[in-house]
Amino acid sequence: MTTLILMVVSLYGVFEWVPTEEDQGIVQRIFYFHVPCAWVAFAAFGIVAIAGMFYLWLKDQIWDDLGYAAAEIGMVFCTLVLITGSLWAKPIWGTWWTWDSRLTTTFILWLLYGGYLMLRAMADDTPQVARFGAVIGIFAALDVPVVVLSVRLWRTIHPAVLITRTGEHGLQDMRMVVTLLVSLTAFTALFGWLLMLRFQQLRSRSRLSTIRRDVALIEAAAGDY
Amino acid sequence: MGAFAAILRKDLRLEIRSGQSTIALFALSLLIMVVLVFALNPQPVDRARDAAAALWVALVFAGMLGATRSMIAENENGCMRALTLSPIDPGALYGAKLAASFAFMAIVEVAAVVLITLFFNLDFGGDLVRLAPSLMLGTLGFAALATLLAAISSRTRAGDLLLPILAIPLFIPAIIAGVKASEAALSGFPLAAATQWLGILVAFDVLFVTLGALLFEHVIRED
Repeated sequence: MTTLILMVVSLYGVFEWVPTEEDQGIVQRIFYFHVPCAWVAFAAFGIVAIAGMFYLWLKDQIWDDLGYAAAEIGMVFCTLVLITGSLWAKPIWGTWWTWDSRLTTTFILWLLYGGYLMLRAMADDTPQVARFGAVIGIFAALDVPVVVLSVRLWRTIHPAVLITRTGEHGLQDMRMVVTLLVSLTAFTALFGWLLMLRFQQLRSRSRLSTIRRDVALIEAAAGDY
Repeated sequence: MGAFAAILRKDLRLEIRSGQSTIALFALSLLIMVVLVFALNPQPVDRARDAAAALWVALVFAGMLGATRSMIAENENGCMRALTLSPIDPGALYGAKLAASFAFMAIVEVAAVVLITLFFNLDFGGDLVRLAPSLMLGTLGFAALATLLAAISSRTRAGDLLLPILAIPLFIPAIIAGVKASEAALSGFPLAAATQWLGILVAFDVLFVTLGALLFEHVIRED
């Protein structure tokens, strides 16, 4: 419910309240979706890695369920970042896609977690596959800083708005800052809500499979008599 | 160290007796390069760039085959299970498999470099020697990654279909750096020109080998 209200408020802010940016015009408003999507995607992938480490350490199914749920949602938001970025790039940069460093990094991130989800989809739900998932999740997360480092060597046309290269933030109007913050909060709440839903669903599934296994064991034992 | 040497010796002996991996790897990389020669239709101006591209494509795809084969051989007859049961440090097991993969790939690459020189009309000379650091660093990183991931993919229903899906995204940044460094070497620039790219390759190698050795235990363990 809170999420719904926040989303409506942020929609109002984005489309009505916030002033239109002078250089880019109306298109710039996609910024208030693009940035929160990126934030959510990064947060989700961070959770995948942390949950993976805890799973390998504590071997509790709960961590695998959390990691899997976060990976799925992160993938959705990472896709949204690429799509909104592409829609924004066409009118402003004049192209849908360019192999710029920031874009390449995000795309590689998308491929990495696509691989993670393919692994989960192609394999059974066993503790072994859960361990595989944790390994890939950790690998992917640690790969990202190096990817960032490697592509930094190219010049980028992607702007650094929140913290500019000179160290200030690049939003001139106070209303832009407020709208962005509202939008970020709304997307974070949406993420939290989706994550809880999916996580609880996966928890139920794990519990169900444990019950099924126990029932099968009892039946097998009963059959012996 | 004893375990590491024993497993490595086993893999190398198996290879010397059968020659399977290196011959298959060589055949595949030869064919990939032939395809690329016709696909790229190399022009005299970009010869170095095209040759570097062909070499790296061959490295990645042939390397994948090699890693898969090496893991399938271990899974046959429950050999992997026996290895996990034995009191061997999983890190040593990983190191030995990695070293064997690296050796096979390196041998094949020497042949591949000779072929690429002929196919793309390059000169035999110092350029080829300067190619060594980028190729060897790339091979080490790829072998490290593929050994870990092949252990995963060989145990799923999807099998070797999954390996490229998992390995290539992780390896893309290293490919970017490796191709740039190899291209610089083949264009006749001194090694110093590619220090930056070689540095990235080293960073990836350190990351892949360390993580692989740490995580291999979790991959091969059975419940």
